[in-house]
Amino acid sequence: MNLEIKHIEKEGKQFLFLQGEIDVYTSETLKQSLLPLTAQEGNEVIVDFSDVNYIDSTGLGIFIGALKSTHNHESSMKLTGMAERVRRLFKITGLDEIIDIEESEREEAK
Amino acid sequence: MEKTEVSLHEMYKSILEGYLHTGSEHALYEAQQFSRQLIKESMSPEEMVNLHIAVVQGLIPHLPTEVLAANDFLLEVMVSYGLAYREHQSLRDRQKQLESELAVAAKMQRELLPKDIPKNPALDIGIKTVAADVVSGDYYHFIEDENDHIGVGVADIIGKGVPAALSMSMIKYAIDSLPEQRLQPSALLENLNRVVEQNISSNMFITMIYGLYDLNKHTFHYSGAGHEPGFYYNHSSREFVDLKTKGIVLGVMKKAKFKEYEQKLEPGDLVILLSDGVTECRAENAFIERSDIVKMINKYVHLSAQEIVENVYSELEKFQNFELQDDFTLMILRREV
Amino acid sequence: MSQTCVEVRSEWSIVAARQAGRAVAKEIGFGSVDQARITTAISELARNIYLYAKVGEICIEKVVDANKVGVKVSASDDGPGIKDLRRVMEDGYTTSGGLGAGLPGVKRLMDEFFIDSKEGEGTKIHAVKWLR
Repeated sequence: MNLEIKHIEKEGKQFLFLQGEIDVYTSETLKQSLLPLTAQEGNEVIVDFSDVNYIDSTGLGIFIGALKSTHNHESSMKLTGMAERVRRLFKITGLDEIIDIEESEREEAK
Repeated sequence: MEKTEVSLHEMYKSILEGYLHTGSEHALYEAQQFSRQLIKESMSPEEMVNLHIAVVQGLIPHLPTEVLAANDFLLEVMVSYGLAYREHQSLRDRQKQLESELAVAAKMQRELLPKDIPKNPALDIGIKTVAADVVSGDYYHFIEDENDHIGVGVADIIGKGVPAALSMSMIKYAIDSLPEQRLQPSALLENLNRVVEQNISSNMFITMIYGLYDLNKHTFHYSGAGHEPGFYYNHSSREFVDLKTKGIVLGVMKKAKFKEYEQKLEPGDLVILLSDGVTECRAENAFIERSDIVKMINKYVHLSAQEIVENVYSELEKFQNFELQDDFTLMILRREV
Repeated sequence: MSQTCVEVRSEWSIVAARQAGRAVAKEIGFGSVDQARITTAISELARNIYLYAKVGEICIEKVVDANKVGVKVSASDDGPGIKDLRRVMEDGYTTSGGLGAGLPGVKRLMDEFFIDSKEGEGTKIHAVKWLR
């Protein structure tokens, strides 16, 4: 159970590449990387989920906190590259309605 | 205290003397027994070394001064071990105290749950809830009103353990304080959402499914707030269907609307509500899928509602090697007649 | 009663403080285990001064009370002081980082322990061990 986080700034956008599992043990480090980015006014934050194979409810909570932070700081957040298994949890919780999640390529093709 | 020290001194002296004379395994075995007694009497390492030095000096007179000095040196080194030993003891006591405090909290928490399952000849209800840790983040609720309705709810507070448990009472009190005409599922969730949104920290949330069973019409009206979908089991076709709901988790939006759905039940049909501890359970790298849960329920479907939930729980418990990853709650309603 | 004081400002003065403490403890008649405990306590107090306050003083004296006799160790400094005394006195707070026995350790090594500290003003500690 591990999560690696890589932060890259590219063309004025803040990319956060996640690799591993977002759960009760790793979500605190995610929070510490993500929240400073969303708390900066005007920031465009893109979180890449391509290498995330599991998220639990504590992990979802971090993204809810981050979303609230974007509202307070006029920044934005987008989640990309999400696998179906991970996406399912965002769907069930209704969070896909309020969080900007990029459709995966396969779904777009439908 | 003084007396035991004297007797320990005598005991140690006689064991050591025996060993010096015979060099036997028996004497070493006695030494092992003796060390057990030392631990029982919480004698610290430096005291033991001191005892050893004193006994050796008594048994072997005229030790070289270098050996005597080296003994004092050893004693100095052992003092810090002694401190670590005592700290360990006090931390162990503290742990016991915390455990018993947590046990009291768990007991209080269990008292928040309904004491009885509503009894009605038309509806057989089974419920099983188990905490992964001492306290739980799962909650369930029953309400019986005078108009032949039974309200049932399952809520899952994000995370587990103490942080989740602390939010659980909020759900109960919020439901209890609602006037009866508000118990329609969508309205109930809207009200709860307002309470939760105002009282929960920014990265916490609660998921919930709530339904109202009409004992006359045998309909189940339900709404969900981001909760793991339940199932409807059709007795005549032997099919399971997801009870899908649309609605955001509680505590995220100031104003949230929840859609209400209706399911008609025939005799023998089931409504199954669960927490994500049932479907998100995993062991090593294997996940339990919703289809696995369906298979388990199907296997026991001829039993009473309570027997089904008990059996499904013991299978999942075995699957997880008796180490629950998440709080578990499974509720089954069956229309009887 | 005469008092021996050692100014602490280097690691060497920790040794001097130990030495002074051992001499008094020996003279009073403490056995070797208690001597080792008293000097370990002095070490910890002196090291705390050296690490956190940089400069301070350790004083050792023989104390007599009714029908018992003991050694009293006093440590004082004008350093940064301790913000949360309760926390510092908790087990596992300092030792987990391998920093040493810490103040709970000193308290355990001695029979009586008294601490007063104000943030920004410094710390005063007295500890007494009685001869049994």
